[in-house]
Amino acid sequence: MTPSLLNKGSFAMPKDNDSPFLLDKHKRGLQNLDRMARYRDDDVVDLVVVGAGAGGGVLAQRLARKGWQVVVLEKGPFWDPDRDWVSDEKGAGQAGLYWTDNRIISGNDPIEMGKNNSGQGVGGSMTHFAGYTPRLHPSDFEVKTRDGVGADWPISYPELKESFERVERELPVAGEDWPWGDPHTYPHSPHPVSGAAYVAWEGARRYGIEMRVGPVAITNGVFGNRPHCIYRGFCLEGCKVNAKASPLITHFPDAIEFGCEIRAGCMVTRVEIDDATGRASGVAYMRDGEEHFQRADAVAVCGYAIETPRLLLNSACPRHPSGLGNNADLVGRYVMVQGATQVAARFQDLLRMYKAPPPEVSSEQFYETDEARGFARGFSIQTISPLPIGWAEHVAAEGHWGQSMREYMRDYNHWSVLGILAEFLPQAENRVTLGEEKDQNGMPVPHFNYNRCANDKAIVDFARGVLMEIWDGAGAEDTLTIDRYAHLVGGARMGFSPDDSVVDSSQRVWGIENLFVVDGSVLPTQGSANPALAIMALADRCASLLDRKAADK
Amino acid sequence: MGTDQAHPNPHGLRQRKGTTPQLAGRYPDWNVLDEQEHWDETTRRVVLSRLHDVPELTFFDEREAATLTAFCDVLLAQDEEPRIPVLAYIDEKLAGGVGDGWQYYDLPGDGEVWRIVARGLDDEAQRNAFDSFADASLELQASIVHRFGQGELHGRAWESVNVARAFKVVIRYACQAFYSHPWAWTEIGFGGPAYPRGYGAFGAPHMGERESWEGEESFHVDPVKDTQERGIE
Repeated sequence: MTPSLLNKGSFAMPKDNDSPFLLDKHKRGLQNLDRMARYRDDDVVDLVVVGAGAGGGVLAQRLARKGWQVVVLEKGPFWDPDRDWVSDEKGAGQAGLYWTDNRIISGNDPIEMGKNNSGQGVGGSMTHFAGYTPRLHPSDFEVKTRDGVGADWPISYPELKESFERVERELPVAGEDWPWGDPHTYPHSPHPVSGAAYVAWEGARRYGIEMRVGPVAITNGVFGNRPHCIYRGFCLEGCKVNAKASPLITHFPDAIEFGCEIRAGCMVTRVEIDDATGRASGVAYMRDGEEHFQRADAVAVCGYAIETPRLLLNSACPRHPSGLGNNADLVGRYVMVQGATQVAARFQDLLRMYKAPPPEVSSEQFYETDEARGFARGFSIQTISPLPIGWAEHVAAEGHWGQSMREYMRDYNHWSVLGILAEFLPQAENRVTLGEEKDQNGMPVPHFNYNRCANDKAIVDFARGVLMEIWDGAGAEDTLTIDRYAHLVGGARMGFSPDDSVVDSSQRVWGIENLFVVDGSVLPTQGSANPALAIMALADRCASLLDRKAADK
Repeated sequence: MGTDQAHPNPHGLRQRKGTTPQLAGRYPDWNVLDEQEHWDETTRRVVLSRLHDVPELTFFDEREAATLTAFCDVLLAQDEEPRIPVLAYIDEKLAGGVGDGWQYYDLPGDGEVWRIVARGLDDEAQRNAFDSFADASLELQASIVHRFGQGELHGRAWESVNVARAFKVVIRYACQAFYSHPWAWTEIGFGGPAYPRGYGAFGAPHMGERESWEGEESFHVDPVKDTQERGIE
């Protein structure tokens, strides 16, 4: 990569991904579906990918470009944003953007799922993520060594750095020069800042906290045939503009040009292992109520932190009676969420926080361990701007209903909201298991148990105080707090040996040479970064390793 | 205008344009529905159908419906017409069988939670010699809802659920039904659907800046202080 690629104003389009040019300037749906390859179930394709999200999308595009025959099986629909998506909070759910199949949640801190952290359909949950795409810090890869908690990764930051850069150019990411972690710049300039974010930014400055604009995977300028963001604020409802990135528009258009088939409406229920050879031979999936079997020479599970463990556990077979990759009882364990407490603040001015993307300004000043604070690791701070239903949930969380809720709601336009992402540590008992209940496909319903540890609670308590100080500095009249959680990673962690992990450093399931996990479930720790960019970067790296090993596949 | 002067009762101000629930609100000359020609066709269809095609009740029976209609009125302070028919949307969602994607281990499915809540609310009313929650006085209804929110209802129907969590489920459904309705958007001054028009005037660094078509606020009060002063927090 030449340095000029990173200079703003002279931004070169990605060389190995034509997706932005394969879209239409005036239509949002994919334009090359009529020439998408179709494979038969009997075809032994080179790779079947389970799940068309951040991990599966990048992996499929990379390997299709290298000549692999790839089939992607996706449970949800193949979206056409013009036809399917709406500028409406409730309508986004009705359109089917969120994973609404039942999950049983338990523990001292049960994690609510659905729109909060789980997507379906081509593009995965990135179709409704807010858009923040921060990088992990170098320290994230050696948490155990540095702090004696969590885990080390079997790879280091430098091994992932080029992948981060490549993916940032493809999305593309907009933001100010980034001073934290490994300092870097972004391909697109920072977006203009809304009134709601501006008051938070000012408050932080007065309190001595530096915040910067971005980083968000939202175009700030024309990008191929993708238009500039129009600041309508409905990022969480699916971007009807094609300004916010998701694999639907950033990777699948290109993958299709190289012979990849994305088969929507297909729920994979089992990965089949050939008893004689020990290799994965394909996957069983349900489509329109009928079972099919796609044969494949390799399988990549990209279903995220709940569905990936669920599928590996449900694929138990004579060679792997407790599930695939589960000899050491690690599948489904060490699932992590981030503490995502939000503090809202009231101002005399009309802020109208529904305008502009909810993600605008963020800070990683508290990301790293500071022993003086009395806990390991840290948190990031980000602006968040809920639309009315989200704001009502915020108000209700403080116990308001009736006249008092209506009164808070009528005051909507006077409020701004700051949130944290606190690094919760991986714990073995925070896990996904299979329940007794069966879903519509006869698959066991997943159970997800969660307890925060003392360090998790200490980070959130400290961070909540910082948000209060920021709002104090900003001159807020009053505040409202909601404790909540965001994101999901872990459940099939990457590690050094079959005894400490589910996959090796190349994301291959220990003991099954042609089975890979390429999604957020492989993360051993999570930092205080939104996970999308890391998942895509890992998929990019994984694909480059697979390419090199193509000869012996 | 600000909080330094005696604040007007929001119910004292009547909506002049369009409809808001109970004609309450702070933007008397703003009607989000006047902007519909600027919405994309898919969104317009979804939002207008919500307004005009109020679904028939199919999930709840008559008794449940009467109890839960009264409950939702208290929960959302819909004490007079015009009311947003929230129970119709809740019924529609439950009848569709697609939940929000999770279930607490100590609660049944969302539909069953709603039925238990209906029975439990009637149990509480019967303890006070009313046949059903719908027949109880407004004061008693408010007190029952208050205790429900605190997780302090016990016995009979309530024994089978975690009461505080059941409240979280029903208030989530109620808020989603209420604040997805364009009347509520007009009430709170929300700009509504914004594709393909988008926004140009963000408010920073010029606070108070707005689009030419956005509504003007006629007064405002800090709800934290206001609800405390009025004893409704």
